[in-house]
Amino acid sequence: MSDYGHLAGHRFPGGTYTLPPWLSWLWADACKLEPDWATAHQGLAYLVALRGAGVSIQDIFDLMDATADSGVVFGEFQVDYHGVLRPGATYDCEAEVVEVERKSGRRAGVFDKLTFQVKVREEGSDDMTIVCTNSWIFPRAERSD
Amino acid sequence: MATREIQVGQQLEPFVIDSVDPEPMKTMAAILEDPNPIHFDTNVTRELGLGDQPVNQGPTNLTWLTEFVQRFAGGPDRLVTLKVRFLGNVLGGDRFECTGTVTAVDHDAGVAELEVGATSDGRPALGGTAVIKLAD
Repeated sequence: MSDYGHLAGHRFPGGTYTLPPWLSWLWADACKLEPDWATAHQGLAYLVALRGAGVSIQDIFDLMDATADSGVVFGEFQVDYHGVLRPGATYDCEAEVVEVERKSGRRAGVFDKLTFQVKVREEGSDDMTIVCTNSWIFPRAERSD
Repeated sequence: MATREIQVGQQLEPFVIDSVDPEPMKTMAAILEDPNPIHFDTNVTRELGLGDQPVNQGPTNLTWLTEFVQRFAGGPDRLVTLKVRFLGNVLGGDRFECTGTVTAVDHDAGVAELEVGATSDGRPALGGTAVIKLAD
């Protein structure tokens, strides 16, 4: 089984991401919360970080040689808030893989834990808005040795 | 709102979704561009042994936990850190409940630490910690 540890330090494209007000509204609505055109829900940190990283979920699956039906799940998610997300705002984002750890458990079998971090600033600002550190679990078919 | 009067051991007002609605999972799959069919195709969830209900997206569960914390804190601008572990699936039709406790209060720094979590039909779904700013 190949090891993905070499991906540590891999930089995602990053770039800018503008949070569309309609998407912010739909996000709240899909979460059964009160949609508000003036305020973005801070739960959108996940999406802003992912879009700002310049990758799709499928791109990350591809990086880890996983498929949509291979049982990938979230591991941990941390958001450090330095400001609030705003609908219509444009964000500058930098993202990279922090580490990929090969682990095993009696129930889970062998899996890879991919951790990546995205730093998000409002366009033109030196001040951070949020920093998201995200880990995903990629089950591997082989069992622990 | 979490004021400087809050105390260690204080319980947060629970946040409850009585029955997780499967329909918005389709909207969320489109928003997220998430190709995983467990969120919208119950033929796949059955094939995978996950049952007859679609699996709610992690970002939705995360948003509910964020809402729970920011309601206690008194607004989105009072969030400092939220750290969450995803412990289990939340399925359509489940009762989703967030609970939490104040674990530390630093009046000098004007922040409080919380232990937070969520269950789905009584099963662990999320666990984590949060740091919030105290209101004046």
